[in-house]
Amino acid sequence: MKIKRSIPAMLAFGAVLATAACGSTTPTSSAPVSTRYPTENVKLTLWWWGEQEVPGAQQWLTDTIAAYKIAHPNVTIDAVLQTTDGLIPGFEAAAAAKQGPDIQYFWGGIYSQQPYWSRSITPVSDLIPADELKHYTNAQLEDSNGDKTLTAPWYVNPQFPVLARTDVLSASGLTVPKTWDDLLKACDVLSAQGITTLAGGVKDGWFGGWLYSMLGAQSVTSKDDVVAAVLGKQSFTDPLHAGWWTRLQETRDHKCWNNDINSLELYQAQQLWVDGKAAMTITAGTDAPNFVAKAGADRVEVTTMPTWGTGPYAGKMGTTSQTVGVTSWTKYPQVAADFIMFMHTPDRLAAWFTTTGSLPADDRFDMSAVSDPVKKSLFTYAAQGAPYLENFIPSALDSRAVFTGVQLVLQGSKTAAQAASDMQAEADRERRTDRSLIGNFTSWSAK
Amino acid sequence: MTVLRGSAAPPATGVGRRKTVAPHGRPPVSPARGVGRGLVQRLGPVLWVAPAAVVILFVFGYSIFQLVFTSFRYQGNWVGFENFALVVSDPLFQTAILHNTLLLLAVPVLVFLALGVAILLFECRRSVVVYRAILFLPYIIPIPVIGVVFGQLLQLNGAFNGALDGLGIGALTQDWLGNPQLALITMGGVIVWKEVGFGIVLFLARMLSLPEDVYEAAKLDGVGFFRMHWSMTLPQVRPLINFYLISEAIVMVSWVFNYVFVMTNGQGGPGNATVVSELYIYNTAFQSKAPELASAAALLLFVATLVLIIGFFRTQKAGGGTLGD
Repeated sequence: MKIKRSIPAMLAFGAVLATAACGSTTPTSSAPVSTRYPTENVKLTLWWWGEQEVPGAQQWLTDTIAAYKIAHPNVTIDAVLQTTDGLIPGFEAAAAAKQGPDIQYFWGGIYSQQPYWSRSITPVSDLIPADELKHYTNAQLEDSNGDKTLTAPWYVNPQFPVLARTDVLSASGLTVPKTWDDLLKACDVLSAQGITTLAGGVKDGWFGGWLYSMLGAQSVTSKDDVVAAVLGKQSFTDPLHAGWWTRLQETRDHKCWNNDINSLELYQAQQLWVDGKAAMTITAGTDAPNFVAKAGADRVEVTTMPTWGTGPYAGKMGTTSQTVGVTSWTKYPQVAADFIMFMHTPDRLAAWFTTTGSLPADDRFDMSAVSDPVKKSLFTYAAQGAPYLENFIPSALDSRAVFTGVQLVLQGSKTAAQAASDMQAEADRERRTDRSLIGNFTSWSAK
Repeated sequence: MTVLRGSAAPPATGVGRRKTVAPHGRPPVSPARGVGRGLVQRLGPVLWVAPAAVVILFVFGYSIFQLVFTSFRYQGNWVGFENFALVVSDPLFQTAILHNTLLLLAVPVLVFLALGVAILLFECRRSVVVYRAILFLPYIIPIPVIGVVFGQLLQLNGAFNGALDGLGIGALTQDWLGNPQLALITMGGVIVWKEVGFGIVLFLARMLSLPEDVYEAAKLDGVGFFRMHWSMTLPQVRPLINFYLISEAIVMVSWVFNYVFVMTNGQGGPGNATVVSELYIYNTAFQSKAPELASAAALLLFVATLVLIIGFFRTQKAGGGTLGD
């Protein structure tokens, strides 16, 4: 029974490879693209993610597709929401088979570079005029390679605001910590009273990447430092790159976190803050207004990670745009691109803000529509934001060194120095096993 | 064998048998037609299974071919054993294999537990159907459901630790899935909880088919509980124990992905505490985007499982019987 089942289990991956081998020839990024808008019936599939961090995105997307259908009755768009854990593997499987979505959601930075390196997407700059693309926020910072813009920013995510409950802090005679020393002092005071200072969950790993970006950005001089470390020109054990591990260990030593941080997922942990059981938490920027509303706007201050570094990004919030790209196998790249441009029309930009309360990734958005002080503050942080570091390291390095290292440092199984050393060892291994990494990152950083 | 009253003896239809005299009193056929019919008789079974065989060959055979083919290449170029060397030297792969091996230690526990509970139920007999159904229930619950439920139950501030606190043994509370020293053991415990029902039902079914009078005679002769089951039950159940042992070993080597993926959100954490070979393959293929390395690792896992399967059949053959004997 199980003997029979075990073979298919092991061969599932082989089947993906087999399907890939049966697929059509991979189109190159420079493949000529038809500019003719089709008149026949067209069906596009859009795989997306985002409702998880931007409640209301699904409604906006449904409305936008309906509006596009009115303008183009021959075009039907089927939007399929992906899970957080399934977003990347799902697309990888689709890319191997050269079938699935016509438009695909990508996080920014490395997540939009990798599909370009594997030739799974057609750069949007091949399809969308430069005059249009120049308005898309963060496209140049994160989603370009050489003279190509790979994916089109959709909405901006301030990465990541710290939400502080002033009522919980003031009850213990504390104010919202702005410096690292203030934070550690708050941790000492609150933990002595049995109150959690920072609510977080690292079981699913993702929060580890957030912490790396928020703490690690404070000591580097630019994102190029991170790329240099990936390429082996700098080391992740250098103080420039390793200091944040020490800060992380300090948060553990000072009992800043909820004691079950290793057995909770991030979203479960954030509820502790809403319930008033924690003084501070960290959320997706797009979701922050909802959290603030739940706790009561008069009791919450939105701020950045307390500063410990002296780098140019210390005290700043990271900024990234979540993007959509056009797959290399779609039959209708021009329609896909046209729909993306439709997402950026004034009416849709305004509707995005109205429906989700988050910032559309387009500098043509009328900021005067924003009256809520929390949102205004977030959008200002995002506009002056720092590069989001996690988006500039290989995703395998992120999951195999950052996610795991954060879990182990916070659990107490590893020291900061060991975690930094592990990260460097993993980067070495990545350069050895991913034999395209050096070339890809070099070309990315060369622009 | 039961012969239906009034029916004729079944015709000989063995492959390769040549008959010129048809059964049922039909006139003899000519030698030429006889040869044709013999050919049809020989090829008949092959033709019947051919469509399924082609599909299986395509699905499995082609996949295996692609797996082997990919594992020796990098971006379309032949690289020999380079991918295998990279995989075998990867500390994470070594960790994953170690974890699979450690999970194998749960197999004897499974067999012992399943056998013990089956013997107890066999002895009690009363309400055996109800107990059997209850004990089998975990086996039919989908693994993702088990993963999610246990993931919640075993949180540091979850229901399981709450129950321990309630029972006054709060000193035993642990971060079952959040502590890297405990996470794999916890995972093994959950797997045992789910898989043991299969063994119980398997063994109990065999025990219930044994002649009752033999046991009654043994009891009348004053044979004790342990002696009776050691000398009478175990030899009868041995082929099934072999089967269960091997099939659970295969589970631990190549069928624990679902548990790990769901209970650790696909991370194999905390740290690398619960990474197993299947998760390594999955993450290498889809997270690290290294299908060649994933293929090499998958091929190694395939060979390991094949060794277990061959071991199973050799054990069966050495035992001189087939399942259910």
